[in-house]
Amino acid sequence: MGRKIIIDPVSKIEGHGKVVVQMDDNNQVTDAKLHVVEFRGFEKFIQGHPYWEAPMLLQRICGICFVSHHLCGAKALDDMVGVGYSTDTPMLATPEKVRRFGHYMQQLQSHVTAYFYCLVPDMLFGMDAAPQQRNVVGLVEADPELVKRVVALRKWGQEGIKSVLGKRMHGINSVPGGVNQNLSQAARDRMVNGEEGLISLEQVIDYAQDGVKIFKDFHEKNRTEVDAFAEVPALNMCLVNEKGNVDYYHGTMRIVDKDKKIVKELDYHDYLDHFSEATEEWSYMKFPFLKEFGREAGAVRVGPLARVNVTKAYEDNCPLANAALEEFHAYTKGKANDMTLHTIWARAIEILHSAEQIKVLLNDPDLQKEQLIMTPTDNAWTGEGIGVVEAPRGTLLHHYRANKEGNITFANLVVATTQNNTVMNRTVRSVADCYLGGKEQVEITEGLMNAIEVGIRAYDPCLSCATHAMGQMPLILTVLDADGNKIAEKIR
Amino acid sequence: MNTRLAEKLLVKLADYNNATSLIYGIGNVGRQDDGLGWAFIDWLEEESICPKAELMRHYQLHLEDADLISYKKQILFVDATKALDVESFQLEKMEAKMDFSFSSHAISIPSIMAICQQCFDKVPVVRLLTIKGYEWELQLGLTEKAKQNLLSATDFFRQQEY
Repeated sequence: MGRKIIIDPVSKIEGHGKVVVQMDDNNQVTDAKLHVVEFRGFEKFIQGHPYWEAPMLLQRICGICFVSHHLCGAKALDDMVGVGYSTDTPMLATPEKVRRFGHYMQQLQSHVTAYFYCLVPDMLFGMDAAPQQRNVVGLVEADPELVKRVVALRKWGQEGIKSVLGKRMHGINSVPGGVNQNLSQAARDRMVNGEEGLISLEQVIDYAQDGVKIFKDFHEKNRTEVDAFAEVPALNMCLVNEKGNVDYYHGTMRIVDKDKKIVKELDYHDYLDHFSEATEEWSYMKFPFLKEFGREAGAVRVGPLARVNVTKAYEDNCPLANAALEEFHAYTKGKANDMTLHTIWARAIEILHSAEQIKVLLNDPDLQKEQLIMTPTDNAWTGEGIGVVEAPRGTLLHHYRANKEGNITFANLVVATTQNNTVMNRTVRSVADCYLGGKEQVEITEGLMNAIEVGIRAYDPCLSCATHAMGQMPLILTVLDADGNKIAEKIR
Repeated sequence: MNTRLAEKLLVKLADYNNATSLIYGIGNVGRQDDGLGWAFIDWLEEESICPKAELMRHYQLHLEDADLISYKKQILFVDATKALDVESFQLEKMEAKMDFSFSSHAISIPSIMAICQQCFDKVPVVRLLTIKGYEWELQLGLTEKAKQNLLSATDFFRQQEY
């Protein structure tokens, strides 16, 4: 008689989810599924609202990557009104740079949250440590000075968001065709020089290097465990510029294989021609895949690990991030890196990259210029738009249609956590294989529960975004046999 | 209603009318009664109560709020509650305590205070006003019962002559 193990829900990620591991009579893992059982349906909710409300309302899906949702929606609106990349009326330099500034600030503070609040405790205390210690509160007791630096970094990122979006959460800056304010000289100077209670740009660059240092130290001491933990194959995807380097705000979608060979590169407006979404009755989260390769071979990984796999380099004016990236690339000798825990390394590199990109923008006078909106030409209204950005967790797509009155009739959101759905399931399967495969006695250990959590958390999933809902989640582990009978359960 | 408890705490809003005080509404006006914390701040602004205090509205607490409160002597957090033992509203004094409630999206008031103490060596006086709510769906506006509880809370402070 086979057995099934359920972890429900998983902690330190957003949304509701549970993990089910199915075992056969020979004590082998036959399947592992990350169920997402929360649903609220923002895509339906937005229908009937005026088109210009979409970026304001849909950013409320998330309290962490709201700027990404806001910008993605704004790019879709640019399409709809006939301004921007897909039209003959390009965006002006200042609004695009102001949007990028808010985007990089959000990436900095979002990655800092995921990295230091949720991942560093796993590294410092070990996966087997008690959950009561293995969190940021434990980190405060162990290393208050580090936490002070992290608090300062996050605060700086949030102040940066506030300087262009008006609020540190769910502010508004982008409007169809541009932005409603630039980065003032005073705000720019404040971000560069700091003030009492706010660190300077120089300190930001310094603190942003902490992440890479902590990972390298952890990796040096735990190389075998880190590298062997859930090494799962997948295609890698992100937006790239004309040089083939990641562009978090705009570009073509590039997908590479394990040898970093480009297997597909597409204009994101053609997304639906190339991608399909599978559904399962056991999860509200869909399973996107490249049609040409089929559901399993066509599953893509997005987010930090995918981006550092795809990108060839960073901009020349980001030397610290470039050096860190070169080291990352060298580790797998030019091949794509499929090691799940190296996502943490990738995220640390992107903290540094964000900080250096912000530094470049803070020294660009275009951000203080006054031309903020490009007015579309007559009859430019298309009524349909698609926006894509690289959100902190990966490629994010918003697609809207509106009727002639300007009210939304259709909305489709494909968020990074959804893109990663198949890969996350592969990660859970890999961890389950490692802990349970071939063992005669199934024991739901804290180590197993922690490892599954750590594997999922590497993606920093926002299941609220993925099901377009809002909420939080707490951990149950249940063992069922092949007939669905519960034979063991553990709740955290 | 826990008016008696509030009276015992001898809280007057006038005590918060200075630059070293912070009144912080927690919630989300887009989720019905979760907007109670912000609605209390709205009331303060409409009535010009505590104009010298710093007033804030936010969706949830974050770690950097430990830094924020380190600059203040006293803080009044205002939040909606589902707690069964709160009939209408409740006022309580909070103590610093690591309670391990942290997720990537939110952290508790006692933990924020403990982090403030640990990292910044400051322990401000913190009180929490919770107001009972009932509905939390994606919709603007408080329910009638929640509005009544807000009124009870504001009336309580009126009776204290702010």
